[in-house]
Amino acid sequence: MDNRNKEEGQIKKDDPIKRKSTRRSFMKGLSLAAAAGSAGLVTGGCGDSATAEEMGLKWEEYFKTNYRLMTQEEKDETVARLEKLAKLRYDLDVKVSTQEPLERVLYGYAFNISRCKGYMDCVEACVKENNLDRKSKTQYIRLFEMEPGQLDPTSGEGKYFHEVPVDNKFYMGVQCFHCENAPCIKACPTKATWQEPDGIVVVDYDWCIGCRYCLAACPYWGRRFNWGEPEVPREEITKKQHYLGNRMRMKGVMEKCTFCIQRTRDGKLPACAEACPTGSRVFGNLLDPDSEIRFVLENKKVFRFKEELGTDPKFWYFMD
Amino acid sequence: MKILAYGSGLFFLLLGAALLTCPAVMAGQGSVLERIHGAEEPFDSMEIESVQQLTLKTVAAKESYQGGEFRVLARKEFISRFRCSVCHTEKPMLAQDGVLFTHSDIRINHGRAGDALICIECHHEKERDFLVDSQGRKIDFDHSYQLCGKCHFRQKRDWIGGAHGKRETYWAGERVVRNCTSCHNPHSPAFAKKMPETYSLPLDE
Repeated sequence: MDNRNKEEGQIKKDDPIKRKSTRRSFMKGLSLAAAAGSAGLVTGGCGDSATAEEMGLKWEEYFKTNYRLMTQEEKDETVARLEKLAKLRYDLDVKVSTQEPLERVLYGYAFNISRCKGYMDCVEACVKENNLDRKSKTQYIRLFEMEPGQLDPTSGEGKYFHEVPVDNKFYMGVQCFHCENAPCIKACPTKATWQEPDGIVVVDYDWCIGCRYCLAACPYWGRRFNWGEPEVPREEITKKQHYLGNRMRMKGVMEKCTFCIQRTRDGKLPACAEACPTGSRVFGNLLDPDSEIRFVLENKKVFRFKEELGTDPKFWYFMD
Repeated sequence: MKILAYGSGLFFLLLGAALLTCPAVMAGQGSVLERIHGAEEPFDSMEIESVQQLTLKTVAAKESYQGGEFRVLARKEFISRFRCSVCHTEKPMLAQDGVLFTHSDIRINHGRAGDALICIECHHEKERDFLVDSQGRKIDFDHSYQLCGKCHFRQKRDWIGGAHGKRETYWAGERVVRNCTSCHNPHSPAFAKKMPETYSLPLDE
């Protein structure tokens, strides 16, 4: 397989007649020349080479394809550009991964509503791990103080400014449930959001046009929109990033919980599950009969939020 | 003519039924529950290369879970004045040192209200480096779950399976879970009240 690729590469390099000339590569060539020209114009020849370089990189970024259509070579190229752009913009050495899904893994999550104390450590850990916009206070996880007997988080109170836990209340967290039959995916007109083989519903931020159909389609309020340019203090940026995960988003794109794809594909727990001081958050491989998540599903009283909609979420609530 | 009408009606009914079931067939993989029920083969998460050894000290648990052996976080190195037998000797001591040496900082809030546990219900009366159960068996501090589980057997069952407690850092690789005493203060095991870290907006905002 590798050999064949190498040979093809060789042919492309050596034989100009056989070189594949697509519309995309033509446009890219044309645009690069234009970018160089316009960058020259904007900077007015002040010798600000970093700006020219940044503009060139940004321009090239416009001509990449949907993540799912990229070859590994194209992925490596865009990653190199994104890392370089982060270096120019923040002077940070971020590492953007394109780690593929693990085989025979389907991620699942369980939330213990009788153990959660409402401390919200998970929310804070998520914001930090995923480089969420501090200005608009974007959060993937929402946590509600609930009256006994209620199981609908819309009836809960998220702004509880008192010591928790309170007697005779319980706490319920809501985030993206990574539905197996996700309405948000069906609503997207540009195929910018899809489900990966390991069950994680992801967004290609560069393919999202910001129409917010997915936001309207999600019955769980699991998606967040960047109304402005996201702002994260430089020293708080998580440098270990994933292309489909916590890399820096831009104004006008959708984002959502990715089960911390940059962590979970390396075998780590999502930041929320690791941060929870009460052990209310159980995460693991649904296809592993010996996993903790399977133990919960087989031995505890579990339910899924709005199961009757047929969205088939991979997020269960359970009780002791 | 009538039979033909019935026939075509039946045909459309069947067609409709076939079309209705079509999306489920096209999805191929089936629902999550079908996929879960179909996955009975063991999964070897030890193969995942990015999982690294924890820097925290762990010990092999004297229990096994559905996936076999597992490890728990060691406890002894977090007990600031371990080994207990360094102080608990036959040597006489001055009364004025009592405040410093008698664990006067410990408030027991464990057990039923008005009937709290006393020290020697968990700590060995003679061999101070060990815990003890009601039958007088010595229990190592690193394996305190053996003692806690004597009363909290439901929690212990859930802890072994994975519905209570926490895994440390990784969902994959060798299973390392926290000990009971990693999270609970054994002298006052209920979690303390505190202010939440942040707040949440209503769902539809």
